[in-house]
Amino acid sequence: MRVLDASRLTKAYRMGERSVMALAGVDFGVEKGEFVAIMGPSGSGKSTLLHLIGGLDRPSGGTVALAGQALEPLNDTAITLLRRRNIGFVFQFYNLLPTLTAEENICLPLLIDGKDLQPYQERLERLLGLVGLEDRRHHKPEQLSGGEQQRVALVRALITEPAILLADEPTGNLDSRTGLVIMDLLRRLCDELDQTIVLVTHDPRTASYADRVVFLRDGQIIRELHLVGEEPAGQSLGRIIETMQALETDPGPTVSAAADLPANGSP
Amino acid sequence: MRLTRLLILRSLRARPTRWLLSAFGIVLGVSTILAIGITNRTALLSITRLFETTSGRASLVIVAQDADAKGFPETLLRRVADHPEVDNAVPTLQLFTVLADQVSTGEIGLDFFGTSTGGLLLYGVDAQRDILVRDYQITAGRFLAEDPHAYEVVLVQSFAEDNDIAVGRSIQVVAGGAVESLRVVGLIAKEGAGQLNNGAFGAIPLVTAQRLYDRDGKVDQIDLVVKSSSASGPRLARLKDELQAHVGADYAVVYPAAQGQRMTQMLGNYQIGLNFLSGIALFVGAFLIFNSFSMNVVERTHEYGTLRTIGMTRSQVTRQVLIEAVGLGVVGSGVGTGLGILLARGLTSAMALMINQDLSRVEVQADIVVFGSAIGILVAVIAAVVPAVQAGRISPLEALRVRGARREGWIIRKGWLPGSVLLAISTAVLVANPFPYDVQFRAGSLVVFASFAGGALMIPVTVAAWERLLRPAAGWLYGGSGRLGSANLQRARARTTLTVAALMIGVAMMVIVWAMTDSFKGDLDVWLQGYVGGDLYVTSSLPMGKEVWKRLEAVPGVAAVTPVRYFEVDWVKPEGDVEKITFMAVDPASHAQVTSFVYTEAVPDEVGALRQLAGGDTVFLSSVLAERAGVHAGDEITLVTRTGRRRFAVAAVVLDYYNQGLVVEGSWSDMGRHFRQSGANAFMVKVEPQTDVAQVQERIERTSRSRDQLIIASNASLLERVNGLMRQAFGMFDVLALISMLVGFFGITNTIAMNVSERTREIGMLRCVGMTRLQIVAMILAEAALMGTIGGLLGLVFGVVLSRVFMLAMTAMSGYRLTYILAMYRVVAAVVVSIFVSQLAALFPALRAARSRILDAIHYE
Ligand SMILES: Nc1ncnc2c1ncn2[C@@H]1O[C@H](COP(=O)(O)OP(=O)(O)OP(=O)(O)O)[C@@H](O)[C@H]1O
Ligand SMILES: [Mg+2]
Repeated sequence: MRVLDASRLTKAYRMGERSVMALAGVDFGVEKGEFVAIMGPSGSGKSTLLHLIGGLDRPSGGTVALAGQALEPLNDTAITLLRRRNIGFVFQFYNLLPTLTAEENICLPLLIDGKDLQPYQERLERLLGLVGLEDRRHHKPEQLSGGEQQRVALVRALITEPAILLADEPTGNLDSRTGLVIMDLLRRLCDELDQTIVLVTHDPRTASYADRVVFLRDGQIIRELHLVGEEPAGQSLGRIIETMQALETDPGPTVSAAADLPANGSP
Repeated sequence: MRLTRLLILRSLRARPTRWLLSAFGIVLGVSTILAIGITNRTALLSITRLFETTSGRASLVIVAQDADAKGFPETLLRRVADHPEVDNAVPTLQLFTVLADQVSTGEIGLDFFGTSTGGLLLYGVDAQRDILVRDYQITAGRFLAEDPHAYEVVLVQSFAEDNDIAVGRSIQVVAGGAVESLRVVGLIAKEGAGQLNNGAFGAIPLVTAQRLYDRDGKVDQIDLVVKSSSASGPRLARLKDELQAHVGADYAVVYPAAQGQRMTQMLGNYQIGLNFLSGIALFVGAFLIFNSFSMNVVERTHEYGTLRTIGMTRSQVTRQVLIEAVGLGVVGSGVGTGLGILLARGLTSAMALMINQDLSRVEVQADIVVFGSAIGILVAVIAAVVPAVQAGRISPLEALRVRGARREGWIIRKGWLPGSVLLAISTAVLVANPFPYDVQFRAGSLVVFASFAGGALMIPVTVAAWERLLRPAAGWLYGGSGRLGSANLQRARARTTLTVAALMIGVAMMVIVWAMTDSFKGDLDVWLQGYVGGDLYVTSSLPMGKEVWKRLEAVPGVAAVTPVRYFEVDWVKPEGDVEKITFMAVDPASHAQVTSFVYTEAVPDEVGALRQLAGGDTVFLSSVLAERAGVHAGDEITLVTRTGRRRFAVAAVVLDYYNQGLVVEGSWSDMGRHFRQSGANAFMVKVEPQTDVAQVQERIERTSRSRDQLIIASNASLLERVNGLMRQAFGMFDVLALISMLVGFFGITNTIAMNVSERTREIGMLRCVGMTRLQIVAMILAEAALMGTIGGLLGLVFGVVLSRVFMLAMTAMSGYRLTYILAMYRVVAAVVVSIFVSQLAALFPALRAARSRILDAIHYE
C-alpha cells in the first residue's frame, strides 16, 4: 500500500524578478512500512521536498497524495487536520515548547486535537520506554541534552500513530554517537512498529539505516539505491559512498543498478 | 481546556512582566473609567438628593423670581394654602449670618465656581409644619418648641462639634448690625435638611427670624405639599401652571429638584474634561495591550510555528491568543474595579472641595461597575484581535527557520498605504468637524484614534530614513558602537515600530495635556488679574451697603474702591430657551480706577465702551457666552428683568470665567433699576502708590471689621490660593501625562530586552572580537536613543496638531475660546523627556547584556 504518492512536483521560489527552481519535477512514492532516506548536496531541494509532502508548503506544480488523500483541493484547515493526525515531524532543532515539560510537549498534538489522554497512556509509556526517557518526562527542554530533546521530539511525532514520519536532518545537530542512537531508534520503529519514515540527511552513515536512498540534485531525483536489509551495515555504507562519488563525476540522472531489487528491503 | 491552561499559564509564568504590562493597561483603563463614572454619579446624585431631601416631601416650591429679593409677604402663604389641591404650605425665611466670635477668623471661601457664601445658614421655620416637608434627625436635645417667639436654635451636629457648641449653651450670631443670642436646644444629623450649606445650617422659629432681621411678615420660600392625587405627572405640571398664574410673575413655582439644576449645569464642563480623561486612559490602556500582545506574537513566532506544524489550525492559534486576552481582561478588570473604587474616593474628595459639597457617600452603583468591567474586557479583546489574527497567520515553516531574514508582515511592508489614507481622512474629518453636538465627543475620540493608528502605520517605511538622518548623532554621542546600534534599528522593524508608536502616543498625550492646561491657565491668569483687580479684596458674609463703601474710601492709603455684585438672571438665548447666568454688576467709573477689563474682541474705544456701560441698558458679554450664542459687540441680548424681557446692547466682549464663563457684566445703576438689587458682595480696593498693602489691610481690619464683619484678603494671597485650586484641578491631567510616558517606558524596556535576548549570540561574538562591556552598553543605548528621538519628534507633531484640534472642538462644545499656549521649553522638554525615558528604560537590559559571559553567549541555542 502506498502511503505517499507525489508526482511531477515542482516548487519555484520568487526572489524579486528571478525565480529559483527548488524542485523541478519530482516523482516520489513511499510504501507502508518503508524507510526512505533523501540525500543530496546543500540546496538540492531536500527540505523543500519534505515540506511539500508534509503539507507545510504548497507546490508550484504537481500533486501530492497522503494516505490516499490528495492535498491540492484541501484548504489550510483541512491540511492542518491531516498533518495533525497523519504526519509526524522531527526537525534538526527539536522545536519543543520551552515552557512545557517533556511529557506535556509529547501530548501536545493530542491536546490540540481535543483528545482524551487516557487511551494514549499505554502508547506513551511504550514510546518513552523505547527511547529511554521514562525518568526524564517531567523535565523542561532546557534541562535536557540535545539527544534527549530530539528523542522527546520523536515521541511527540509518533504519539498520534501517524501514517508517515518526516524527519529533516534529525541528527544534524547532534554528535555522531548520539546521532547513531537516534538512528537505531528509527530503525527499530520501522522494524517493530512498521512505521513509515522519510528522512533527509547528507550523512551517508545516517542514510545507511534506510531501506532505500533517493539522491537529489538541482531539484531532481538523479538516482535511487535500494539497500538490502540483511547486508552488513558496512556494506550498505560502502555502496552509498560509492554512489555519491560516482554522482560527483557523472551528473546523468539515472536509476541505480539495484533498482530491480524488491522495493521493500526490510525483512 | 487543558491545552489552554498549558499554553497560557505556562507562558504567563515565563514572561510575567509582559503580562503585568498588559494587565496594567486594562487596570488603568477600567480604574479611570470607574473612578470618573463614580465621581460624576456621586456629585450628581448628591446635588439632586440635597434639593430633594432639603425640600423633603414638598412637590412644588415657590420662590421669589429674583434670588435676592426682600422676600414676599406671608399673605401669599394663605392664598396658596387655600388652593384645594394643596395640603400644606410651609414657609421659611432664609438668612445668612456668622457666629459673632467667628468673624475674626473669617476667610474667603473659594470654590470652583467663584466665591462661596460661607457663613451659617439659618432657616426661620414653622416648627410644627416644617417637619411635614423636611427631615430633621435629632441626635441630641429636642427640636424647636411650639413657641414661635423663643430665641432658640437647632444646629447640625458636625457644625456644632467643629465650633465647640453643646446643647444648652447659647450662640451669638450677627444680625442686622447687632449681636443676638440664641439658645441651642438640639442637634440634628447631617442628613436631610442638615445637608444644607454643607452642614453649616440651623433652624430657628419663624417669628424670631423675622424679628431678628427686621423682616416682619416676610418669607423667602414656600414648600407645598399637594394632595397625593396630584402629586406627580401631568397633574402636578398642571397644578404648577395653575399656581404660577395664581401667584403672579413676581414669584416662581418650581419643582424642588430644579433648584439643583444650576449646580449640575456648572458641573457639566468639568465633567466633559473628566470624560475626556477617561477616554484617553482607555485609549492608552488599549494601546498597552495591543503593544504587549504584538510583542508577544513576534516573540513567540517560533513557538506558534511549531504548534502549526504539529497540527494546530489557524483559528485555534487565534483563539488561544484571544482567550489570553479575555483572561487578562477579566483579571485586569477585577483589579481595576478595586483600584477604581479607591481612586473614586480620592477624586470625590477633590470634587467635594471644588463644589463645596459633602460627597462622603461615594455612590458605587452596580451599573457603573458592570459597565467599566465590560469595557475593560471588550477593549482587551479588541486590542488583541489584530495580534491574534497575525499569530494565526504564522506559517508552520516559521518554526523551521532558526534565524535570519524572516519575511516581514504585510502591515510592516505595505501598512503605509492604509496609514496614509487613515491619516488623510482623519485630518480632513477633524478639520471639517461634521459631527452634531451630542456625538462630537465620541466621534472625535474615534477620529483621534484613527489618526494615531495612521501615524503608527507610517512609521515602518520611514525607519530607514530616520535612521540615516540620526546616525551621525548616535555616532557623535556613543562613538562607533553608537553607529552600530543605530544600524540595528532597521533589523526588527515591527518591534521598532511598536516601540516608537508607544513613545509617540506617550509624548503626544503629554504635549496635549501641557498645551491644554497651559492655555487654560494662561487665560485664567489674565482674567483673574482683572477679576481680582486692585490690591485688596474685601468681602463679607452679609451684603454690604453704601456706607461700607464710603468707610473704605475714607481709610488712609486707599486710592480707589469699586463694588462688585453678582446675582442670577435668566438669559433668553437667540433660539428662545432660557438659561440661568450670572449678572455681575460693576460701577464703571470707579471700576476703571481700580482694574480693567480684558477685551477679547478688539474694542476701538475702550473709554467709550465703559461710558456706554455706565449709561445703562448695556452689558459686556463674556467671551464664552459670545462664542456660544454667536453674539458680537454691537449686537443685543435679552435678559429677563423684574419688568419683563429687556434687550441690552453688547458694548464689548470680555474675558470672564466667573461661573465658568456664564456671566455678563452690567452697570450698578441697571442692577437697581432692572433687577431691584442693592448692596455689594465684594469691594476691590486700590492702594495709593508707594503704600504698604499690608498696612492698609491692617487699617481696614481695625476700623471696620467689628462693625461690618469684613473679610479682607490681599489679591496676591487670593491669586495664590486660586492658583493652588487650579493646580489641584489640573493635577489629575499631569498624572495622566505621566502614565502616558510610562507606556513608552515599558515599551522600550520590552523591546530592548527582546532584542538583547535574541542577539545574545551576536553580542557574545562582538565581545569575542574585542568589544568592551561599555561599548556594548553604548550600542544598545544608542538604539534606544534613536527610538526615543523618533518617538519624541513624531509625538510632538501629533501633540501639537491634536491639541489645536481639541481646542477648536472645545470652543464648539463649551464656548471656551482659549489662546493657544505651548511654551518653547515644553517643546524641547517633550523630545528630551522622550530620549531620557528611552535611555532609562534601556539601561537595565543593556547592563544585563554587557554582563553576560562570552561563553554563554556563544553556546546559546
Ligand atoms: N523561502 C525561500 N525563498 C527562496 N529560495 C528558497 C527558499 N527556501 C529554499 N530556497 C531555495 O531552494 C533551494 C532548495 O532549498 P532547500 O532548503 O530545499 O535545500 P536543502 O536541500 O534542504 O539544503 P540543505 O541541505 O542546506 O538544508 C535552495 O537553492 C534554496 O536557496
Ligand atoms: Mg535542508
